[in-house]
Amino acid sequence: MDLAIEAVGLEKTYPGEVEAVRGIDLRVEQGEVFGLLGPNGAGKSTAVGMLTTTIVPTRGSARLGGFDVVTEPLAARSVSSVVFQEPVVDRALSGRQNLELHARLWSVDPRETRTRTDELAATLGLTELLDRSVQGYSGGERRRLEIARALVSRPSVLFLDEPTVGLDPRIRAQLLDVIADLRTRSELTVLMTTHYLDEAERLCDRIAIIHAGRIVALDSPRALLAGLGRELVELRVDGNVDSALTLLREHGVAGEDAFAVGSRLTVPLRGRTSREAIGAVHELGIARAISAREPTLDDVYLRLTGDSLATAA
Amino acid sequence: MSSVQIAVPLSQPPRTRILGPLRTLALRRFRLTVRTPRELVVPLLTPIMFALVIAPSLKTALHTGAGYEAFVAIGTVGLLIPLNTMFSGLGVIVDRVSGAQRELLTAPIPRGLLVVGNLLVALAITGLQIAVLLAVSIARGIQFDASSTGIAWFAAAAALFTVGMYGMAEILANRVPRQEEYIARVPAIAILPWFLAGALFPIGALPSFLTWVAKFLPLTHALALMRYGLLDDSAGLHAIWGTGDPAAMAALSLGVVGSFALLLFFASIRVFSRSAVA
Repeated sequence: MDLAIEAVGLEKTYPGEVEAVRGIDLRVEQGEVFGLLGPNGAGKSTAVGMLTTTIVPTRGSARLGGFDVVTEPLAARSVSSVVFQEPVVDRALSGRQNLELHARLWSVDPRETRTRTDELAATLGLTELLDRSVQGYSGGERRRLEIARALVSRPSVLFLDEPTVGLDPRIRAQLLDVIADLRTRSELTVLMTTHYLDEAERLCDRIAIIHAGRIVALDSPRALLAGLGRELVELRVDGNVDSALTLLREHGVAGEDAFAVGSRLTVPLRGRTSREAIGAVHELGIARAISAREPTLDDVYLRLTGDSLATAA
Repeated sequence: MSSVQIAVPLSQPPRTRILGPLRTLALRRFRLTVRTPRELVVPLLTPIMFALVIAPSLKTALHTGAGYEAFVAIGTVGLLIPLNTMFSGLGVIVDRVSGAQRELLTAPIPRGLLVVGNLLVALAITGLQIAVLLAVSIARGIQFDASSTGIAWFAAAAALFTVGMYGMAEILANRVPRQEEYIARVPAIAILPWFLAGALFPIGALPSFLTWVAKFLPLTHALALMRYGLLDDSAGLHAIWGTGDPAAMAALSLGVVGSFALLLFFASIRVFSRSAVA
């Protein structure tokens, strides 16, 4: 069976030698929910643009549902739909007209379109809005409409580019429920980009962390977190952080996977309890604050890139 | 929430479809246009004012005959077409900045169809507006002298010139990032040539070097053809080509307008296709 998404050595260099994507390889299985995680400017949207044929790769190749995005773009587009980061709808038209437009362009049988539109409107809570002009929709309603539009053609691959960016917390929570519901549809492959860690952890089967145009880690959220152990301690250090890290390593408190960012040292615990580690740090007298907690994807990102995802985004 | 099946298994490459998507895109553009009355009304205001107010006033002030009003009525078609097509071009920028262009670019259709769909609506609306302008002119007492062949010359010239001007509008809309910059360029493209192309007076009345410039303007050829068609007046064609058989001169001018239309039509598709993707 073909992979739903396959990219080999995909690169994009914009004029002025701006390397947005520096060679990424992806193999996404059918039915998988795959996350591209990274801050703004990491290359996520450019990668999605190349996969959806709106950006021409400089090098490398990509296939959607077995169709090459450069040599068979119409076929590749026929099996996919996109929900864009910014609102991309005809605001002067009604929600129904936006859905029908998509259905016609994607060759959905007109008799099926009406049924399907009504089903999706019910699923996404749009029934009452469907015949109103999109001009009057709220941000969350418009985003749900865009998801319904993307699904009306029964795509095999759905791209969600930062689907919740700019939405207030309540609408964001609702939308995450909608996307989580999509996750249960076994034949739909979803590739979503986000810089929200909770979204990635909750929704994705696997995550690729992308930084400066390269994939720096690719695995399931659980496996990525497991790489940092079950617990870690975090220190605020007075003075030279690198010296403090060296000292911790010399005393066996920190291993090679400990890392420093600014005045903060993060030390994954390997076979030690947090009580032992905190005691050892206190004895060395190098920390002005210390705490223990479970690792998060932000720690994974921090270790791989030297920058916090939250602050970078 | 109820449940709904989402995906279908991957399939063979679909056939490339043209007519169905084209009809869909044209219907979309038409729906968007009729929700923006300014795109329908504003381009019509200036030509109607020229035909009904300024031309009669000029006729009185210059002591010209009734034929001058008919001359200017056709001349105003040469203003209406550029104004209307340039207004249509604004829709391209709206689509790109705040509309559904990105969604359309991911549709499984050749991207050139987006341009053709817009062009079809621009052609239809321009045709409707020309019909309104001529109807208002006739109601005002302006007389035309047209045979069925003459109407065919007129329609061919108007249609081809509209295609060319829409191509220019589409190119401009894809070259400039914002509506303000687009609008700033409209007078130079839509209005300036109109003053040189024999819309209000024969091009022979211009200084000689400008007469030569006028002969190279597609609008000059289009207006001469339209007057040949609707007024049975070949003076404009003679002013361009010199003496000769009117039908032959008309064919030559139609060739010029047709070349203009073809060139800008294909250029607009190329520019759109290149600028729509990074």
